[in-house]
Amino acid sequence: MTQLAAYKKMKELMTNYYIEAKTTREKPIAWVTSGAPVEFLYAMDVLPIYPENYAAMCAAGHQSIELLEAAEAAGFSQDLCAYARTDFGADITQGGPVAGLPPPNFLLCSTNICKTVIKWYEVIARKYNVPLFIVDTPFLHDGLTKELIDYTISQFKDLENFLAEFTGKPFDRERFFEVLSLSSEASGYWKKMLYLAKEMPAPFNSLDSFIHLGPIVTLRGTQECVDFYKSLYAEVAERAAKKIGSLPEEKYRVLWDNLPIWFKMRRLEKFFEEKKCTLAVTTYANSWGGYSNIDNYQGKDIYEAMAASYLNVYINLGFEERINYLAQLIEEFSLTGFIMHSNRSCKPYSVGMYRLQEELSALSRKPGVVIEADQNDPRVYSDAQVETRLEAFIESMRPINN
Amino acid sequence: MFDPFHEVVTNVSKTIMQFEAQLRRPVIGVMPAYFPMELIYAAGGYPVQLWGNNLTLEKSDAYLQSYCCSISRSVLELELREISKMVKAYAFTSLCDTLINLRELYRRLFSKPTLQLSIPITQTEEARQAYIKNVLKSVTTGLEEITGQQITQASLIEAATLYGHTRSLQRKLYNIRRQKPGIMKNHDFYTVLKAGFFLPAGAYNQLLETLLHNLEALSQPQDSRPKVLISGMVFDPIDTYKIFDELKFDIVDDDLANGWRTVSKENLQIENLVEGITQYLFNPAPCCCIYNPENDRHTYLLNRVKQSGADGVLFWYIKFCEPDAFDRPQLMNRLKAEGIPAAFIDMELSMSNFEALKTRINAFCEILEG
Ligand code: SF4
Ligand code: SF4
Repeated sequence: MTQLAAYKKMKELMTNYYIEAKTTREKPIAWVTSGAPVEFLYAMDVLPIYPENYAAMCAAGHQSIELLEAAEAAGFSQDLCAYARTDFGADITQGGPVAGLPPPNFLLCSTNICKTVIKWYEVIARKYNVPLFIVDTPFLHDGLTKELIDYTISQFKDLENFLAEFTGKPFDRERFFEVLSLSSEASGYWKKMLYLAKEMPAPFNSLDSFIHLGPIVTLRGTQECVDFYKSLYAEVAERAAKKIGSLPEEKYRVLWDNLPIWFKMRRLEKFFEEKKCTLAVTTYANSWGGYSNIDNYQGKDIYEAMAASYLNVYINLGFEERINYLAQLIEEFSLTGFIMHSNRSCKPYSVGMYRLQEELSALSRKPGVVIEADQNDPRVYSDAQVETRLEAFIESMRPINN
Repeated sequence: MFDPFHEVVTNVSKTIMQFEAQLRRPVIGVMPAYFPMELIYAAGGYPVQLWGNNLTLEKSDAYLQSYCCSISRSVLELELREISKMVKAYAFTSLCDTLINLRELYRRLFSKPTLQLSIPITQTEEARQAYIKNVLKSVTTGLEEITGQQITQASLIEAATLYGHTRSLQRKLYNIRRQKPGIMKNHDFYTVLKAGFFLPAGAYNQLLETLLHNLEALSQPQDSRPKVLISGMVFDPIDTYKIFDELKFDIVDDDLANGWRTVSKENLQIENLVEGITQYLFNPAPCCCIYNPENDRHTYLLNRVKQSGADGVLFWYIKFCEPDAFDRPQLMNRLKAEGIPAAFIDMELSMSNFEALKTRINAFCEILEG
């Protein structure tokens, strides 16, 4: 891992966040999906809890297997997304790094990442007998349309009513705009930071971005989040200015598509370092940069801007747009190739990926590889298989400046 | 009396090509689930339903990983092997993540047009209506472009009547089975349903009417046999029903997306098509793929078990179908809490060795016979 001073601060932020989650008496708790419009919740003093983030923490801390097994013992098939299974397991056993998540008062789910979350949240809603609010952000087969934006906005308005009713307070629009602006600012710093990896050598790598992702997911919309990413950006920018690379030597620069393999972070980091290969950019970490666009719409209807941002998430895009976006990243980040993680857990990210690889290779004229893995379930992962494929791929790339 | 249906099911391509030539309508391949055939027919198309098949996966492996359900994989196999040459376009719905991406994959791999009936998930009423209105517009325009014909009020009425009649005849068949379990072999029953995926509605309705008439002459077996309700996405693989027959085990009802969940749908109302489509998608049977908290699956399934007199519920699980798999544990617990035996069996459509399956069906049978 690149040595960043911000890491300690991030740990502190996340610890405080989970302490508040476990101890709060005043704030209602909502379990939310990573792509949910959380700004509405912060505006109403509802504390958002992210089962996906917690599941990732469990896997990164090598605690996911026992939780997956607990869920499976309760009847949840191994075929299900491992985030959902980890979460079910953590809920059943009250396991993982903070001994389970606090029970929800309601749930907020957005379909921009997948349809799987609806099923997952239905299970939780039934178990806890709490309301589930869904903001449906349909798949963009043919790009954004006015109709889809209107559809999303009318659900936003409905969400405001729901929150007002739930909390017994009128929806605080003024506070909401403040939160939105904080959210957008933090996402802006995050994005600017990620784009510093265009520099050669890259001042940090994507494994670092995965590790520093926690706050932009969970605390987006708070001042601490802005402060944190501002300082992270400054630190990385300084490294970039001084041309300090993340790796001792950078021979290859690649894109990583799909979620990280949370339980293999250290090993993969070492692997890539040995191969002098920087993971310079990822579609996954970039997703949270998209919320910075809300500010670009200034003057326009803020709800429209927000709806556009929440719809326009990479994993919610049709393949044509995905390919063009990937090709653009390859160009902008001066990459030598790309890695696609065919993630058994995540069908919306992975189904069709082999075709995307073919087309992207042809379009970008860069080699690409698909590896079969899973973000959270170590039992379906093989070091040997993945590393052999990656080795062959790395050898097939032409090094930079060549 | 079931021969004509078996004939269709064992000669799918031949049947479709024969009717295509006869009807001179473009064949539209319909993916799972709930795409109203009425719209396709009203636009001058000949809808055939693709719910998966038992082809060995030779070509689709290059594009769909082993963790995709065998419905999606086997359907793709059809097009890659050019077995579905006669299909001119595909109609999709947004049931699950796999299907949504599958449509995108078809768009990249093939030049045939694809339609998308995206099903809203919101509970915000006006949003839902406006959404369906837009989706409907894009689907009907898309269909009209494919067939070169306009959907008219008259063609809609004709289609709604025709397909409404199909489902009402199928409901009669279900009723007979509920009232006289064992009167038809399980394998025959599902072959009748399956033939309807490929036959044009007019021809199918005639066969159904004859069948219903002939069934009157049959009497029910007198021995008492365990009665089961099966629940899942699809009833395939069709050959598995021979096992039930062999074990003298009567499926008395089902809760399947390509069974009762579709068959139970009332005639499509066309006076207000947006409302009609909404009703069609969300009622009357709940489905794991359709978000509708007002139509609770637990209560529904308990009622169906009661009404059908089933002794237990067998969950018929096509591997890697997440929507189905998420709902199952809680549903099973609920059934068991109400004293209803429940078990599940997982399978892939391409499986050819049914021995293990037979053992498991048998084990469940024994529980029911208690
Ligand atoms: S990993 Fe994929 S399937 Fe699972 S919750 Fe995230 S987006 Fe959905
Ligand atoms: S069986 Fe399940 S996973 Fe497969 S297409 Fe149907 S709903 Fe989707």
